[in-house]
Amino acid sequence: MKGLKHLGCVVGLSVVLCALVGSINNDYYLRIGFMMSVYYMCAVGMNVLVGYAGQKSLGQAGLFAAGAYAVALLTTKTEISPWLALVLAALISGVCGVLIALPSLRVKGPYLAMVTLAFGIVVEKLVSEWTDVFGGAQGLFGIRPLTWNDAPFSTQQWVWFSIGLSAVIHLLLRNLVLGRFGRAWLSLQADEIASASIGVRVYQSKVTAFVVAAVTCGIAGALVAQQNQYINSDFINFHLSIFILLIVLFGGVGNVYGPFVGAVLLTLIDAALSSWPSVQHFVYGALLLFALFVMPGGVMGTLTQLWSRQRAPVGERIPCSEEIKLQFSSEGSDDLLDVQSVSKSYGGVKPARDVSFRLKRGHIHALIGPNGAGKSTMINMLTGIVRPDKGLIKFVGQDVVGRQAQAICILGMGRTFQNLRLFGELSVLDNVMLGRHARMRNGFISSMLSLPFARREEASARERSLALLQMLDLLSLADKPAGSLSYGLQRRVELARALATDPQLLLLDEPAAGLNPQETSELGDLLVRISRMGLTILMVEHHMDLVMRISDHVIVLDYGVKIAEGKPAEVQANAKVIEAYLGSDVDAALVN
Amino acid sequence: MDIAILQALLSGLAVGSSYALVALGFSVTFTTTKTLNFSHGEFVSAGAFIGMSVLFLAVGKPLTSTSFGGVQPDAMIQLLALLAALVVMGVLGWLLFVLGVRPFASRPGMAWVMSTLGFGVILQSIGLAIWGPKPVVVPSPVGDDVIRMFGIGVRPQELLMLAVSLVVMVIFDHVMRKTMVGKAMRAVAQNPSVASLMGVNVNLMMIGAFVVSSALAGLSGFMLAPIAQASLFMGLAVGLKGFSAAMIGGLNNARGCVIGGFLLGVLESFVNLWSAQWREVAIFALVILVLAIRPNGLFGSNMVEKV
Repeated sequence: MKGLKHLGCVVGLSVVLCALVGSINNDYYLRIGFMMSVYYMCAVGMNVLVGYAGQKSLGQAGLFAAGAYAVALLTTKTEISPWLALVLAALISGVCGVLIALPSLRVKGPYLAMVTLAFGIVVEKLVSEWTDVFGGAQGLFGIRPLTWNDAPFSTQQWVWFSIGLSAVIHLLLRNLVLGRFGRAWLSLQADEIASASIGVRVYQSKVTAFVVAAVTCGIAGALVAQQNQYINSDFINFHLSIFILLIVLFGGVGNVYGPFVGAVLLTLIDAALSSWPSVQHFVYGALLLFALFVMPGGVMGTLTQLWSRQRAPVGERIPCSEEIKLQFSSEGSDDLLDVQSVSKSYGGVKPARDVSFRLKRGHIHALIGPNGAGKSTMINMLTGIVRPDKGLIKFVGQDVVGRQAQAICILGMGRTFQNLRLFGELSVLDNVMLGRHARMRNGFISSMLSLPFARREEASARERSLALLQMLDLLSLADKPAGSLSYGLQRRVELARALATDPQLLLLDEPAAGLNPQETSELGDLLVRISRMGLTILMVEHHMDLVMRISDHVIVLDYGVKIAEGKPAEVQANAKVIEAYLGSDVDAALVN
Repeated sequence: MDIAILQALLSGLAVGSSYALVALGFSVTFTTTKTLNFSHGEFVSAGAFIGMSVLFLAVGKPLTSTSFGGVQPDAMIQLLALLAALVVMGVLGWLLFVLGVRPFASRPGMAWVMSTLGFGVILQSIGLAIWGPKPVVVPSPVGDDVIRMFGIGVRPQELLMLAVSLVVMVIFDHVMRKTMVGKAMRAVAQNPSVASLMGVNVNLMMIGAFVVSSALAGLSGFMLAPIAQASLFMGLAVGLKGFSAAMIGGLNNARGCVIGGFLLGVLESFVNLWSAQWREVAIFALVILVLAIRPNGLFGSNMVEKV
């Protein structure tokens, strides 16, 4: 078992480190060891946030402060046990993590980075200027340290404890990032719209990542406060936030071992330069730039690159699973989707005007129309990415107008995009397994502890995804980054990902765009096969031969108005349709 | 009107003008390159210290002095110092773009955030190595005697700053809207590849944006120094508030940024009347409130992503 081997390694390394610490009697060196663990804790949570969820936070010092001051106030103003205070401090920083995450639900990118930076500065101002409570530069004295047998920890015990805690945090977070949650975070980083459309709860995942980073950072702050038995506002500054980020970047962002390597190296550099603060900061700045220029993947990224060059190319590493019965649910006999007088306008442009149609279960429906007819907008309205101005969309008997994309996906609507939205850096298998995300039932705690239930869910998601890959003839590519495949193959991976969400209705936005005639015809056969498994399909398509060959029912839009619908042959003969595509005699006369 | 309120309004407008300049700097680079300088605040401090060093040299003191000792440099020297500050800051902006932004702009994960931050940290630590962390009192070109009018006291530097900023903003607005250079910049903002097909030198425009942005930061720092004392840490707060102003006004709307800057300055000054320690909190609360209601700022236009 790979997991057990890893556990053994971590325990072994921790024991060796603890033994090493046991042989050191110099307080200065012990303190360096303690700070390594503390910075490691800050960085490991930060790595989840930055490396996996892809959210920049420049205000970690604020969360460090939350933990440190929480423990300080709790142990000086109340009589509770210092251990309980540590736990409460972690919880309080978690709450602050939610606070810092809230703006992330509204703003993105540089805005968010700046908001988190502002959060850090506000906390810094608060603790330094609100002296009645936080003591300002005078600080808070008499913080009660952790105890063992009623005696305060010795420095050595502090280091042992922090090493042990770091190892536990490492194991827990590793379980998280290698499983369902890690994948969801990576998908957020790559493409939020795509992850919502395959059922990932975008907001919730982001907040979780912020909370993870906040809790580890808060624990680190609390430990520092308890070990020093003192905290003042000098601890909390912008450089601390930068330093935490630097550890993550330098060690290797998005790498499980990056924070460890970064924390060890940078704490050593920090200690070596501690008597020259301005040189210290100069070195941080220079290292930041250096790391970005020379090794964008950090130390670990660079090492992994060297390592993987020596390894044999992967390809056969994924065992070919037995053929699994793929079946999609299709109970019920009423219409699957009922669109009633839906309208949408962007200023003067009206991509949908009072459009109504129904989709029958098990049929292949096609939505066609000239460019600008409003086909993609219709798909986006059905899937909850665009909100219609008015009208009703009933899917499996429920009104879905105003629901979020991920909720609609969970109801059973899967989709592909006109301009591919795969998670390019993730492997093909991970892309498809992300499709299973919403169907997996293992929660945060069980994933973090890697309970048997979580492992079973993970295994069955993997099996089902492999079966889907086999069905779409992609199995040999399961290991490859999705972005490296050819256009046609990427389209198929996107289809597999949509199928993995267990849809009842599959929406395909121009599935044959960019395919050659041979591939288009194969796609047609594939769609027919999928539809026989009980799925209903609605596709937007320009290849008329494909549409006419496989669809049971065709809907025609022109300038946001439904101008015709019916069997392919009927639609083909419809005068209005011909006019929309080829122009009328009147138009021709005008041109002449 | 109450005297205290009038006083607060005036000093708020003066400080607000520095926020507006900084916000404008953010807006210029963001609209042309979709990136910002995260160490813009350090650039504000740098502007102040470069101006100050020229003043030191001109009055015959070593560069590393930390006090003017009552020496009053005359207007010519001040003008020279301002020019030097603008030029050096422009060069720094160019360096920042070439070293810290261009190599990373296309990389995922906003690597440019980190590289610009790193640039700022380096800049600040160089400053600390030369001048140390103590603030320096810088003489104002228009004297430090408080002018009394309508019963309130105004420092001439505040009026000067307000006036200079307004002139700069009007010129800036005119250039962006009425001249070919401005049109080219806005074209690059819209779509760099199409702009380059139309014969616009995209690279030059982007460098130009960073040069202008840094020069604006430098101007802001230079003008602020006599009001608030030159300190290597003064920039962080100004930079942050400048960004807040840009967010309130709308990062992609230069006029909105300027309005946001003045709004923020006045608000800050009013909150200050009531309680100094909640000043920062009040400002950032406002920013978060505005973002919650209008994520693109009060005057910013919506950015729609095509799916």
